[in-house]
Amino acid sequence: MLTTFLSHQWKGFWRSKSKGGTIAANILIGFFTLYLLTLAIILGFLLEFFIGKYSPGKDVGVIFNGIIIYYFAIDFIMRLQLQELPTMSIVPYLHLRIPKRKIVNFLNARALFNAFNILPLFLFIPFCCTYISDVHGAYASLMFCVSILSLIVFNNYTALYVKRLTLASTKYVIVTIVAISLLAALEYYKIFSIKAVSNAVFGTISKQPVVALGFTGIAILMFIVNAKYLRKNLYTEELGSSEEKKTSTDYPLLNHFGEAGTLVALELKLILRHKRTRSALMMSLLFIFYGFLFYKEDVLKKDALGMVIFAATFMTGSAVTIYGQFMFGWQGSYFDGLLANKTNFRNFIKAKFLLFTIMSTITTCIITFYGFLSWKILAVQFAAYLYNIGLGTVVILYFATRNYKAIDLSKGSTFNYQGVSASQFVLMIPYFALPYLFYQPFASAGKPYYGLICLGFFGLTGLLTRSYWIEFILREFNKRKYKIAEGFRQTP
Amino acid sequence: MILEISNLKKTYGSRTVVNINELQINEGETIGLVGNNGAGKTTLFRMLLDLIRPDEGQIISKGENVAASDQWKNYTASYLDEGFLIDYLTSEEYFFFIGSLHNLSEAHVLDYLKSYEEFFNGEILGKGKYIRDFSKGNQNKIGIAAALMQNPELLVLDEPFANLDPTTQIRLKSLIKLLKTGDKMTTLISSHDLNHVTDVCDRIILLEKGLIIKDFQTNENTLKELEAYFSV
Repeated sequence: MLTTFLSHQWKGFWRSKSKGGTIAANILIGFFTLYLLTLAIILGFLLEFFIGKYSPGKDVGVIFNGIIIYYFAIDFIMRLQLQELPTMSIVPYLHLRIPKRKIVNFLNARALFNAFNILPLFLFIPFCCTYISDVHGAYASLMFCVSILSLIVFNNYTALYVKRLTLASTKYVIVTIVAISLLAALEYYKIFSIKAVSNAVFGTISKQPVVALGFTGIAILMFIVNAKYLRKNLYTEELGSSEEKKTSTDYPLLNHFGEAGTLVALELKLILRHKRTRSALMMSLLFIFYGFLFYKEDVLKKDALGMVIFAATFMTGSAVTIYGQFMFGWQGSYFDGLLANKTNFRNFIKAKFLLFTIMSTITTCIITFYGFLSWKILAVQFAAYLYNIGLGTVVILYFATRNYKAIDLSKGSTFNYQGVSASQFVLMIPYFALPYLFYQPFASAGKPYYGLICLGFFGLTGLLTRSYWIEFILREFNKRKYKIAEGFRQTP
Repeated sequence: MILEISNLKKTYGSRTVVNINELQINEGETIGLVGNNGAGKTTLFRMLLDLIRPDEGQIISKGENVAASDQWKNYTASYLDEGFLIDYLTSEEYFFFIGSLHNLSEAHVLDYLKSYEEFFNGEILGKGKYIRDFSKGNQNKIGIAAALMQNPELLVLDEPFANLDPTTQIRLKSLIKLLKTGDKMTTLISSHDLNHVTDVCDRIILLEKGLIIKDFQTNENTLKELEAYFSV
């Protein structure tokens, strides 16, 4: 049965109508994965050397033990955003003579084929086989491997489980975000240290290797929880639609903006009424915690703002980039209607700018809490905000006029690759490189704050000359509108 | 003359989908487009609505090329397929949205919708459903009503009778006839239902592989003629 499912999936992939984009995207992702894996292997074999080099005088084993759970904590957050739910359209199989158990098993087995699961193998296993085995013996080395395998499985299914819960109800998104931010804050203020916990646990394992079976235990537990949840929700997920009465809504505030406001209201409804857009936006909220990774005290003290600018651009624009990169594909299903109706496309473009400005303003307001760490962060974030609403939006909309893939809104999962084309990858380069064009010359001259002012100035200029950019995007749009409409019509 | 098509050509690969040398449509005419699948009906409509760029030739609507200016949008309303509906809106929201594009207030729209109560048969309004959750037939009704609401001078409908229940089919026919006499509306309809088309339209255009095979005024023999052509 498993092989039949696999062959159906395989055929589904190769025969999908949107194959062109999927293959290009998959090849890119494939290369990226391969690159990471190669790095991981090299790093894995040289881990002992690197630890010795970067923390001279400390016990290599202790450092390694401290890394493990830390790694898996970050791995978990990454998974929440990037790991794909193994989606197979199970509807055609549900009414056949196939036990549900088998379908669930297939979904679960498929989930294991993932780069996230392979990466730690390459990273940690070589070290366990060399250093740990030399110091603590073969038995301990084996149990280290067992615990790492168990942690992989545990992370894999926990991430999927949490993702499934968050897709089912937004309540869990908030719980997850609060929990992660709480842990991140505790770690940042050194109240609680993952490193210390990791060290204690793996220190124990090196002495009492049997303890590693505890990890195996929780991994199996998580697998069972996940499988049970899946089996219970196998139909409600796809087939059941809620019976609650839908109401017509109106956003009076937006009426002040005329037709552009009406179009923004239309798009807000699009975002709020689809799982895929909702979860994309919710997940983009998770990005606001990247500041804890990048806003390091020593970096701020040295005024080395390069990485800080990257993080600030990323966070102030997280919703804009994550939602905007697929523009106008979100509206692909009714794009013909927009074209054939009396829609003024100048207003259509204006509405996009307005929407992006709203999104970026909201995220920027949220992340002002980083101001508690340092006032410098606020300055950087403000400059990044100006860049985002002034120029970043132009970059994204320019690439939007080159995106010919519609998004299938009926599919739920957050990071499914339907609708992904090369333009999304290309888009990120100018979007993130542009701020440095303004900042770097000053920073190299030793005046990072002039660089910030320059960045903010050009952002503001972009904002003030917006009417010019609207015309520019409109021209680009008109050049390719037939191709866009054609592409949207052909995307299933 | 409301529409003037000249040298219109569209090819996909080596296949010519539309190849119309000359076609003129006068104000107030109700025109039925018939032809088997692949005859080019929908492609013609799409070019008419500036959704597809013709390879050659042009479509002039009231003296202006549809591909060059948006003027035609002021008096043209259309419904080709579900791709015209915004499926995550409730039916009311959709009507309000379309109305707002023509500067109709919500009160106006509601007022207008009242006159379509019979056509809707109590299945469209106040249902508390998104358009995507309606059946195909009811989606069709929403699209057609939204097009008619724009009070167009030129109406373009692609297979409007498909998926509609018999009662609604008959109501739609009388609606089109009514609008033709009252407001001098020009209507372009494509259909596979020869009965309906000959009943409603006063001019029939028969397409085959993109070419106009026949173009004639309807009379009592039209239906038989068409049946003879299609029964080959």
